[in-house]
Amino acid sequence: MTLRAGCLALLSLSSAMVATGHAQQYRLRLDSRFQSVSFRGVALDSVPAAATVLVGGSRQTADGFAVSCLTGDTFCFFFRPGAIQTARPSVTSVAGTLWGLGVPGLSVRGDARVAMDLGDAEVLPGTNPAVQLLEGYVEYATDRWTGRLGRQVYTSRLGFTGFDGARFTARMVNRQVEVDGYLGWGLARGSALPVTSAALNPLDDFQPHQRQLVAGLGAGWNHRFGDLRLEYQREVDPQSSYFVSDRAAAATSIRLSSRLSLNAGAEYDLAMARWGTTDATLRFFQRTWSATAGFTRYRPHFELWTIWGAFSPVGYSAVNGSVSVSPVAGLSVRARGSRFWFEDTETDTPLVTVEDRGWRVNVGATYSPSESFSFNLDHDTEFGPGASSASIDGGVTYLPARDLSLTLHAGRLRRPLEFRFNDATLRMFGLDADWRFSDRWRASASASRFMEKRDRPDASAFDWNQTRLSVQLSVMLGSDAGHQSLPPAVRSTDRPAK
Amino acid sequence: MTRILKVVALVLGLLCLAAAGQVLARLRDPDFDHLKHQRLFPQCQSCHVGAVTPGFAIYPTAESCTACHDGQIEKKVAWEPRSAPLATNLKFSHGQHATEVVARAGRDSTVQCISCHTRNNAPRMEVQHAVVRQCLDCHGQSQSHLALADSACSTCHLTLAEATTLPVERVAAFPVPESHRQPEFVLKGHGRMANAGGSRSPVPSSCATCHARDFCTECHVDALEQRAIQALAVDARSLAHPAKLAAPPSHDRHDFIVRHGADAKQDAMTCRTCHTRESCTACHAVEPRAATALARAGVGRGAGAQIVRKRPATHVADFKENHKSLATASPRTCTACHTRTECLDCHRPNAASVGGYHPAGFLTRHPAAAYAREASCADCHSTTGFCAACHQQSGLVAERTLRPGFHDAKKFFLIGHGQAARQSLETCVGCHTERDCLTCHSAQGGRRFNPHGPGFDADRLKRKNPEMCTACHGVAIP
Repeated sequence: MTLRAGCLALLSLSSAMVATGHAQQYRLRLDSRFQSVSFRGVALDSVPAAATVLVGGSRQTADGFAVSCLTGDTFCFFFRPGAIQTARPSVTSVAGTLWGLGVPGLSVRGDARVAMDLGDAEVLPGTNPAVQLLEGYVEYATDRWTGRLGRQVYTSRLGFTGFDGARFTARMVNRQVEVDGYLGWGLARGSALPVTSAALNPLDDFQPHQRQLVAGLGAGWNHRFGDLRLEYQREVDPQSSYFVSDRAAAATSIRLSSRLSLNAGAEYDLAMARWGTTDATLRFFQRTWSATAGFTRYRPHFELWTIWGAFSPVGYSAVNGSVSVSPVAGLSVRARGSRFWFEDTETDTPLVTVEDRGWRVNVGATYSPSESFSFNLDHDTEFGPGASSASIDGGVTYLPARDLSLTLHAGRLRRPLEFRFNDATLRMFGLDADWRFSDRWRASASASRFMEKRDRPDASAFDWNQTRLSVQLSVMLGSDAGHQSLPPAVRSTDRPAK
Repeated sequence: MTRILKVVALVLGLLCLAAAGQVLARLRDPDFDHLKHQRLFPQCQSCHVGAVTPGFAIYPTAESCTACHDGQIEKKVAWEPRSAPLATNLKFSHGQHATEVVARAGRDSTVQCISCHTRNNAPRMEVQHAVVRQCLDCHGQSQSHLALADSACSTCHLTLAEATTLPVERVAAFPVPESHRQPEFVLKGHGRMANAGGSRSPVPSSCATCHARDFCTECHVDALEQRAIQALAVDARSLAHPAKLAAPPSHDRHDFIVRHGADAKQDAMTCRTCHTRESCTACHAVEPRAATALARAGVGRGAGAQIVRKRPATHVADFKENHKSLATASPRTCTACHTRTECLDCHRPNAASVGGYHPAGFLTRHPAAAYAREASCADCHSTTGFCAACHQQSGLVAERTLRPGFHDAKKFFLIGHGQAARQSLETCVGCHTERDCLTCHSAQGGRRFNPHGPGFDADRLKRKNPEMCTACHGVAIP
């Protein structure tokens, strides 16, 4: 209801502004994407315990599926390969800004998606509901302050906080100090939907009846030697007035020298009285090489309307580093790695041993002998609790024309699991094409063949081969009083920087 | 050995011949051998009447030669006096020069043809094109030709635009003055020199002798605002001098991308020589304030510096995974080059997008990344709306009743899952609901297993949100 009301309000306001006849200017990105992808999971099944057979010390169904039987149960359970489900999501995004509305500093911004699954069912998440408003707000900005009203996403150390409400930003001391305050009805984490949306509760779990109220304060200080930003955010259940979350955070970037910088951040959960995710990274960069070294302490965050926080989830600590070297023009060699270990869970599980530490390593190289060709090779390996993986990927990119790129890629991946016999081996190859046939238009397409084999010692093993297709068409539109063309940076927003 | 000596002798002989030819070529006019005729013509003006008498031809007629070279007295020669205008940028007129010399020095002036056309102490008829050094000496200029003061050029030279007979090849072959080779000349020197005359003389003749406006607009995007440039005439031949826009040393500074904003705010006028507003918007998503001091690209301006969007040095190899602290501490720095749409493209994923943040094949690899939280999945994905929804479609959720068999690699996982669950509860939530856990962990029923572990502060949580407690404890919260 709120979403609909917000959209209507924005539309009405935009129409009213347009009707005033001033020199409106706009910037609009229309983007349509489509992909076809298949899924294959498992299907729970059961069999009378008496109908199972003992093979090599393990119980199986007559047709070879390993079963799990609890002592005393008359039925045993097993998982068959599930049916292949094909999703064909199609999403059209509209993102735009309208200004020049007769009041200097006044603008309207919107970013919405229309999604549907052209396949058999809504297999892939993200296509329900069909219309999703990511942002839609009216902004009034002066040199000293900015006010926003509507649906917006507030970006901070505490994450991307979506809400329907108001935000006020004041700038002072020669624009070096910035203070933010915001208040509104919150959206769910990692989503453009409210927590009350049925789309966010596929398993019919406990769900709040009302959207949480979110309020926060932020303050930032920018200096030539570094930046500092402090955040405080509180979410409250309006029905009970109880906290949904109560957190504070700080982030800093210190430019120690022209080649050395330190970036660090920390979160503190005031409700749980404990530190959240904290990290610090030292970056050194030079013309031919760069390196980073850092420390991370990750701790999951759960809203207080769930019971998960009471289960005392623990975090992990990690040290990580990376180095990138460009020994000769056109060649870049990189390596990065991390070592992590979980905190003590204070559990006693003598019958089950679980990994509590792991590591990740990536080495790769990119070689561009000319403007037209680029070769890329990467090897990733990670070992840790739950699952591990090792992969090698390579590709060659050819630019037959300045605005056309063709990439042929192939890879191989192995993924052993810790808790389930369902190791996977994946081989893939594909071709991507990206064509910018004008300053404003971009088309891309990709076709990839995936050959995945799930390895199990029983009949549950299955092959999951498929071809994935995708196409994308984007157009950037815009105008201003001088009929100047769009800034190149905006035209190339989705083009990776060189 | 003899053979080697022969080869060396041959080479030396050839070199001597070549050198002799060069000397002869210098000494002798290719069209007319003055030395050979020195006894026949005691005075220059016998043939070159126009050199001293305005209005007469400077060269003799063909008939003058055939008087002797008729094929009988002397062999015939082919001679035609030049009819086309001389290809030169000199504004020298022999007749006028002679008249002025007489007017200033009197009829007994010692300035004669040989004063300019022969080197000092050379025989009278060993003539050549005017010896510039001698012209300068006569005019009281002690410096070398190319080091003369600006005003001196116009004494003898036309501006490039006025020297219409000069072919582009000759323009390209103009000698480069020593001043142009000074290290600071490109950045500062030439500007100072061009504006030295002030408002009264907007461009020195020294510039205009060799250059025209076209040359300046090869680099200067502020050509329309530069008086000195606008004072120059338009002449495409000036493009014969190659002009290459080179970045000043400040741009090579490693932190230039980060610091250039402050520099531009301090002195945007320096930027406007080579940069248009389009330079800024090549990278900046929103036109920065300093850009207003710059001109927009257009007719009459040089193309200027062509900016290619590059990654800043801070965007090192693992920047995609580790940009959180920098981005949240310095959001204004990000907004200089990135739009909100770019952030939302990744942080609010599009169901129809392929690739992007995650590599191809990530679906198969994601259990490893998700369990150990290589990155916080919840920053971009809703655990329930994304993870659980997909796992439900794949038959990976518990569907309210816990059954054995899924975690089959650990035989007693159901009773020994505590460590795994606390290590990666966010992963469990992708398949399990609160009800699944309450089957055993509720204080009101089931097996009443206490789920509280390290760091659990019951009193604090009860103050913040007692509703959470009621899920297990009912209204009788301890």
